[in-house]
Amino acid sequence: MAIAKKEQRVVAIVWVIGIIVVWELAAFLLKYVVHDPMAATKLPYPHAVAMTFLENWKMLLEAGAVTFSRAALGFALGTSVGILLAVFMSLSKTMERIAFPYLIVSQMIPVLGLAPIIFNIVRDMNVSRVVIAAYITFFPVSVNMLSGLKSVEQDKKDLLFSIAANKFKVYQKLMFPFAMSYLFTGLKIAAPMAVTASILVDMLGSKSGIGVKILYALYSNSSNIFWASVLTSAFMGIISFYIVVFAERLCLPWQNTTPGKEGVRA
Amino acid sequence: MNAAEIQIKNVSMVYPVNNGEDILALTDVNFDIQEGEFISLLGPSGCGKTTLLRIIADLLQPTSGSVSIRGQSPRDIRMQQKYGIVFQSPVLYDWRTVRRNICMPMEIMGIPKKERTTRITRMLELVGLQDFGYKYPFELSGGMQQRVGIARALALNPEFLLMDEPFSALDEFTREKLNEDLLSIWSKTKKTVIFVTHNIPESVFLSDRVVVLSPHPGRISAIVDINLPRPRENSIRETSEFYEYVTKIRRSFEGV
Amino acid sequence: MKNKVKNLLWPLAFGIALILAWQFGVFHKILDLKPFQLPVPTEIASTLAANLPKALKDCGVTISGALIGMIIGSFMGFMIAAMATFFPKWGYGGMIVVTALNAVPIVALSPIMNLWFSTGMAQKIAVVTVVCMAAMAINAYSGLNNLNPYSIDLMHSVAANKWTIFRKLRLPNSLPHIFTASKINIASSIIAAIISEYFAASTSGLGFGIKDNLRKAEMAMGWSYIVVASLAGVILYCIILLVERDALKWHASQK
Repeated sequence: MAIAKKEQRVVAIVWVIGIIVVWELAAFLLKYVVHDPMAATKLPYPHAVAMTFLENWKMLLEAGAVTFSRAALGFALGTSVGILLAVFMSLSKTMERIAFPYLIVSQMIPVLGLAPIIFNIVRDMNVSRVVIAAYITFFPVSVNMLSGLKSVEQDKKDLLFSIAANKFKVYQKLMFPFAMSYLFTGLKIAAPMAVTASILVDMLGSKSGIGVKILYALYSNSSNIFWASVLTSAFMGIISFYIVVFAERLCLPWQNTTPGKEGVRA
Repeated sequence: MNAAEIQIKNVSMVYPVNNGEDILALTDVNFDIQEGEFISLLGPSGCGKTTLLRIIADLLQPTSGSVSIRGQSPRDIRMQQKYGIVFQSPVLYDWRTVRRNICMPMEIMGIPKKERTTRITRMLELVGLQDFGYKYPFELSGGMQQRVGIARALALNPEFLLMDEPFSALDEFTREKLNEDLLSIWSKTKKTVIFVTHNIPESVFLSDRVVVLSPHPGRISAIVDINLPRPRENSIRETSEFYEYVTKIRRSFEGV
Repeated sequence: MKNKVKNLLWPLAFGIALILAWQFGVFHKILDLKPFQLPVPTEIASTLAANLPKALKDCGVTISGALIGMIIGSFMGFMIAAMATFFPKWGYGGMIVVTALNAVPIVALSPIMNLWFSTGMAQKIAVVTVVCMAAMAINAYSGLNNLNPYSIDLMHSVAANKWTIFRKLRLPNSLPHIFTASKINIASSIIAAIISEYFAASTSGLGFGIKDNLRKAEMAMGWSYIVVASLAGVILYCIILLVERDALKWHASQK
């Protein structure tokens, strides 16, 4: 059932075009058939939104860049800490015993629910943006990295053991490269979540960022700006995901990537 | 005869099982291996032949008994990086090309880069993969992957080559070809080889001596000297002497 | 047996140490916080005890919205995955779109749903539905399609039709993946519901409670809402685990 790469791309493009057409149609129906007085707010024409985006692209991209860069910073921080903890847990059984149950339970804590509380503690918009994005990145990265480090086949370890490789060499030559694909699974889950966290903090009372634009547009009833901002933030999430996908292809050329490969989400 | 290179004394291995009935993987195994000898450990599955190999390689510790190699423990020999192991499966690192897979143990042993490159090229020629050096493992067939695993072990120029059913996943044609190749490589290097297999003709073809093991509990049931002339080629498989050895070993299993 | 005790004792000791450190102001010292910024556990507990009926009522509002949304979303997600399986060529492209949808931030969805639906409950359910739909569709699709090699050939050899293959092979094969998605969705549905309440027209629910109490500087109450939300999440997660253990006795992950 292998579908040619080129054909896949055509199919995906047709899908995107199809969605836009359906959207145009729905907007038209809402306005002229259902006669909804709020039609322009509820579902504006996509071409109108696109025009708004083109007129305001500078403002939107600037706001997006603020949000995105904070998300990226937190993402990088959370990834480093997550990898570090995973390595500690793979080195020490006691460490794993202590930390792992909390990793699993903490996926039940509404982390984003903590956002206002962390904001209240830190009192600084940028810091709390980075902290929350880092916090939310940390769990999926750590859990997936650990699961990668633990999935290394015994034979592969025996090979290094048989030539008396030390622990550092074992991690350098075997454990880390092996766990990379697991790590990327975690990163793919975490990246959009970091963006979500950053936008959420915007909305909780920041002065800049795409979340602020969404709120302003909402309160000032400028529906096209609102939709353009919402779509921008949606694209930021999608782009963050595909940046990781792209990085994975670059770093792991030996992998046959399959779509919809799921990992442990924390 | 000189003092034996490898002395295996009263080696037993017990795997504890939860329900109390421990599995006797090996009971009281004794034999010696001479320097430069090609030894096969032959037996059906469950006879402990792989366990014995892993004990010699220091990958397992025996429950009782001891293995001494040139008067030292397997651990000492391992720490001196004198083993080359070929596993049942190729055990290749997916993220490294064929060349870099062969290179990996040499990196750890600190062999200079120039030397590594020459050895890799020579080994690839030896196993007939010179055109595949820059491929990733997933681009190779099973037989080719296994040959990479052999090249990797040989590239170390190990003093002891330990092979755990290296050809068991291959088809008969490839297997006989690789048997012959292995002998020609061995005749040039004259290393001590311990070769685990469940294939009787293979063990006869390759070995100086065949150690026959039988299961439940794992133990030595016979040690057969193979006095076929060397160098051996695949045509020797058609001789009556070869056939007699195969028959003799097969009979040693009967009544087990 | 010894390991089991260790598995329990270590994390338990760590948790108690953490709570004690929090109680006796270690965190306050490290992070330079005043007690009113970060209330101590006993204060949170007593606040929660005093306001339990209200907290439970708000919890009920949020959880019921999250659960309804999760059920609708999971069902829709599974239907999408099934459709994509029956029409592989176009379905594959559709799955790429769904994967992209999965990366859309919840906070971007929430205001849209506020425009489309008038009541807080409907808004909440709509947000949760979209979030859960994507995760379920992706997982179910991989479960329906990552089959053991030759299993399709075996089906073809007995001339099974598409529908039989779906029922006898793809559906059971997808079960572990469906449970994986459900476990993901439990956590994300509660988060989505809470976030939706931050912005929606709601005047009840955990999200509203957290935001409202923090605005009024009632930190202890805000924290007790977080505790309730986490407990509810853990309980729901355990229920899914129990069902999974019963339904997937044959699967390797259960041994």
